[in-house]
Amino acid sequence: MAHRGGERDFQTSARRMGTSLLFQLSVHERELDLVFLDHSYAKPWSAHPDASSARPTRMLFVTPRRQHESTIESDVPIDVETVTSTPVPLYDNQKARSVMNECERHVIFARTDADAPPPPEDWEEHVNRTGWTMAQNKLFNKILKALQSDRLARLANEGACNEPVLRRVAVDKCARRVRQALASVSWDTKLVQWLHTTLVETLSLPMLAAYLDALQTLKGKIPTLIDRMLVSSNTKTGAAGAEALSLLLKRPWDPAVGVLSHNKPVVPVATHLLNNGSGVGVLQCLEHMIGAVRSKVLEIHSHFPHKPIILIGWNTGALVACHVSVMEYVTAVVCLGFPLLTVDGPRGDVDDPLLDMKTPVLFVIGQNSLQCHPEAMEDFREKIRAENSLVVVGGADDNLRISKAKKKSEGLTQSMVDRCIQDEIVDFLTGVLTRAEGHVGSEPRDQDAEKKKKPRDAARRDLAFEVSERGSRPASPAAKLPASPSGSEDLSSVSSSPTSSPKTKVTTVASAQKSSQMGSTQLLKRHVQRTEAVLTHKQAQVPVSSEQTEEAEKEDLRVQLKRHHPSSPLPGSKASKRPKIKVSLISQGDTAGGPCTPSQGGAPEAAGGKPITMTLGQASTGAKELTGLLTTTKSSAAEGGVSASPASSVVSSSTAPSALHTLQSRLVATSPGSSLPGAASASSLLQGLSFSLQDISSKTSGLPANPSPGPAPQATSVKLPTPMQSLGAITTGTSTIVRTIPVATTLSSLGATPGGKPTAIHQLLTNGGLAKLASSLPGLAQISNQASGLKVPTTITLTLRGQPSRITTLSPMGSGAAPSEEPTSQALPSSSQRLPPAP
Amino acid sequence: MFFIFILLDRRAKILAAWFRTGHLASLQTWSFRVMTTKESGGAKAESALSSSANPSNCVSEKPNYALKFTLVGHTEAVSSVKFSPNGEWLASSSADKVIIIWGAYDGKNEKTLKGHNLEISDVAWSSDSGRLVSASDDKTLKIWDVRSGKCLKTLTGHSDYVFCCNFNPPSNLIISGSFDESMKIWEEKTGKCLKTLSAHSDPVSAVHFNCSGSLIVSGSYDGVCRIWDAASGQCLKTLVDDDNPPVSFVKFSPNGKYILIATLDNTLKLWDYSRGRCLKTYTGHKNEKYCIFASFSVTGGKWIVSGSEDNLVYIWNLQTKEIVQKLQGHTDVVISAACHPTENIIASAALGNDKTVKLWMSNY
Repeated sequence: MAHRGGERDFQTSARRMGTSLLFQLSVHERELDLVFLDHSYAKPWSAHPDASSARPTRMLFVTPRRQHESTIESDVPIDVETVTSTPVPLYDNQKARSVMNECERHVIFARTDADAPPPPEDWEEHVNRTGWTMAQNKLFNKILKALQSDRLARLANEGACNEPVLRRVAVDKCARRVRQALASVSWDTKLVQWLHTTLVETLSLPMLAAYLDALQTLKGKIPTLIDRMLVSSNTKTGAAGAEALSLLLKRPWDPAVGVLSHNKPVVPVATHLLNNGSGVGVLQCLEHMIGAVRSKVLEIHSHFPHKPIILIGWNTGALVACHVSVMEYVTAVVCLGFPLLTVDGPRGDVDDPLLDMKTPVLFVIGQNSLQCHPEAMEDFREKIRAENSLVVVGGADDNLRISKAKKKSEGLTQSMVDRCIQDEIVDFLTGVLTRAEGHVGSEPRDQDAEKKKKPRDAARRDLAFEVSERGSRPASPAAKLPASPSGSEDLSSVSSSPTSSPKTKVTTVASAQKSSQMGSTQLLKRHVQRTEAVLTHKQAQVPVSSEQTEEAEKEDLRVQLKRHHPSSPLPGSKASKRPKIKVSLISQGDTAGGPCTPSQGGAPEAAGGKPITMTLGQASTGAKELTGLLTTTKSSAAEGGVSASPASSVVSSSTAPSALHTLQSRLVATSPGSSLPGAASASSLLQGLSFSLQDISSKTSGLPANPSPGPAPQATSVKLPTPMQSLGAITTGTSTIVRTIPVATTLSSLGATPGGKPTAIHQLLTNGGLAKLASSLPGLAQISNQASGLKVPTTITLTLRGQPSRITTLSPMGSGAAPSEEPTSQALPSSSQRLPPAP
Repeated sequence: MFFIFILLDRRAKILAAWFRTGHLASLQTWSFRVMTTKESGGAKAESALSSSANPSNCVSEKPNYALKFTLVGHTEAVSSVKFSPNGEWLASSSADKVIIIWGAYDGKNEKTLKGHNLEISDVAWSSDSGRLVSASDDKTLKIWDVRSGKCLKTLTGHSDYVFCCNFNPPSNLIISGSFDESMKIWEEKTGKCLKTLSAHSDPVSAVHFNCSGSLIVSGSYDGVCRIWDAASGQCLKTLVDDDNPPVSFVKFSPNGKYILIATLDNTLKLWDYSRGRCLKTYTGHKNEKYCIFASFSVTGGKWIVSGSEDNLVYIWNLQTKEIVQKLQGHTDVVISAACHPTENIIASAALGNDKTVKLWMSNY
């Protein structure tokens, strides 16, 4: 926001310093912001026209480096007595402790036989192991070991001032180990049920409480599996006990309860499209993606001119967003986990189109990110002409997840970190949007201007892209709508929808690939044989904030379901009458691949200018993850799944951002690419976040859960929950339409992402343009559906998720489901890691 | 690489010889059955440097500890003395297989705890002063109820002599170090071993929790000190000096910021473990064979107190590192010295030629 925004920036900062708990949370790590120390009459730091447009970096949770004094001061008095007072935790300690001990309080519910005396403390010696099989013994011992370390952690942390956080970390660890153990037996139903029954009967109360805590945590991630595990005991206990237990397990507790209010999330509507690898190259896919985003941007422009559009992207999605911003007019770009480093070195060479960006951009990167380095980032920022800000999250990785050690040592949870990041985004957007209002009128011109640049790169474009581009060029929506009747209807309905309504609509379109979705039987089977890329396209969701519309929406949805067989429900969210900007933080997959965290948002409202926020991110978690799973079964399954935990907690901001009082923050949870764990985590998020939407979320979560036992797909295929089936239907349905897309999973992190992304775009192309995209993409269709019946959305968030794959699998991926499957071939050039210059 | 050849009297913690080769072999037990001398008033406190300064003028210059009581009761070498956290009692463990609880202010023999089959090397109090844990050569630890004098639990699992033990601050965990080169963390309530930490390559000579209970420090004859995360049992840090003489004792400072390390080269060092460097070195005493306890004295001036193999108790100024007083009176190696939590009282205990515990008090 440069100089113009300077003053407000200062105010914002001052406000937050005084008010935000979360700011305090990280304040001691923030380095002194020299800009804010300027005298008020001093010239702004950026006053010079040639001054760099890079704003000072903001550090979140970055521990300042200690200066090592070289000499030993022998005369400095040593105080061996005074205990440094530990900072008071910022969350409500009492409340946190109370939720923390929930399981301990209610542990008795779990007992199948409540009348029997609790097992003695030396229960271990009394366990009668006769008749146990080797597998049973092994499994039991594993669980026992996990519980024992959890016990140690509990005891060791007892009385610590931030005990709830430490407990949370410990429980997550225990849950991970339990999950690992269960995954090692492929979640064999009999074995797992036996285990649960045995544990409940034999464990001493404290150990049982620890076990329940682990179950509670897992239940949030993999509800179906856990439910299946509990079935047998439930039948024994009877309804009352089962109900109590299920209540207890309903959602995992979080130490920050109360401080970070959990807003109701918008449940994402997921569409899963299978793409089969077939002859398209990565570059083309990329172009497709960019094309798709561009056309979406154009579409929104045409439907809602004068509304600011903000592109938000994760990882490669961020890159796509940036490239799009070069070509189309958008108000701002937010890059989460920007992949700066490529195989060819950092971005920002003279010919890098990103340097031409004029859109204000915010980079949020992890200090320990592999794809980015804070110092290289600074260099890059210097070269960008656009105003840009950088937020460095201390100790965070590519996905802005902080490490366990950091959590432990600093008493943080991922939800707190996510919240701080949101605050930063809100700050950034507040500045940009309020200033951007003035430019609204000029949008079209800008757009045109941007378009003029296109020809330069035209040579590189392939035909398909041209198609999409052509489609996107026309200003009128109608022109964009090609042949497909259904699609055109949808779209036109959008355009025709009345703009008069004051209601806010938030649209989150997340495209994520979920390989986990492959959970459908055939898919899984195929995968076993050859782990190829199955790209599922996960999908779009449009939350509408007005209650009245909810009903209508659902109906629309139903219609859609019939038409497209989409599995996911449309979330309706509570009414809020004000326009908002939503910031969705979708944190995705873990190392192993999976978990995605959705997020939340608190957003400032742009005064007067109804902002449209488009979040672009693309997740291509799935394929790799799955591969990873299949190849390295246990580890990946367990890891991926569990790791999601902290990240998955969604915190929504209740604080009204900034000066604009009208702001209301709401949470948009987009469940991102759920790969096996991903889906689970996403669902857990939803679960945790919203009670009211529980039924819906449980449905969605059902899907992911199945695939999660990666190692033993067969088992999962046995029973498909209904939603699953519907999903399967979708997948196959779409896959027919969509041809194959070459997928490269072989690529190291980045490479995979592009591979995943093509789905949406490819669809676009193969289906013959936008209209078809709309029809085949439930997300789009939904938008249109909703829009038709409803008011004009004031805010539209488009989220494309990008999933960095940390697993480098060498096995090629292709997807098996498509009928029109062609031999999949795809070697992705490693150079594809680098996003080619935007067309 | 040095290997340590130990002729060890378990109770007395003798490290007799230190050879280049060989292994920990021939751990012989020396009998210390010596006649008991009734030590009455023969001992006198001797001020090490010049005359004892006037306390009113010279703040925290010199303590003036004087012998108040000699506690007789053990029939063999005493191995450890500890004051209870509430200041009421003093517990002493001995090679005669019993623990005696004494009144901390009057030296009265309150209770004798019997149960171990072999010599006891260490004893420790719980934070509420209600329980004791003892480490014995019979490879077990025992948890005692002080009030009733009964053994509540016997912790079995070590495969060799248990040499040192401690409670964590909430006293729900017990840490023990053993000649089997491992440390074990036990749940106090159930007596179950929750975790075994094995990273040392020689007997573990001392273990201690920091004041918040989040860290454990351990010292071993292998010459290194390790710092462990109590919650996970992971080793967080290893402190090694240039040469690595066997570590005979370690403990955290009362605030948990520093670590006092005793090594068998007549040296005590105060480390800032977070920065991994040595801040202070205390020398002048003799300590080459035994695992001698040392202590922080913070009730009056800030001192470091340690026993010595020249039968004296040494007191250093924590800041200046100078010896401010030597307490003379024991007739054998002073194996243990402990400081009272609130009063200026030092308890010291000596080996088999002496077998007594002495209480020293200072009006300063």
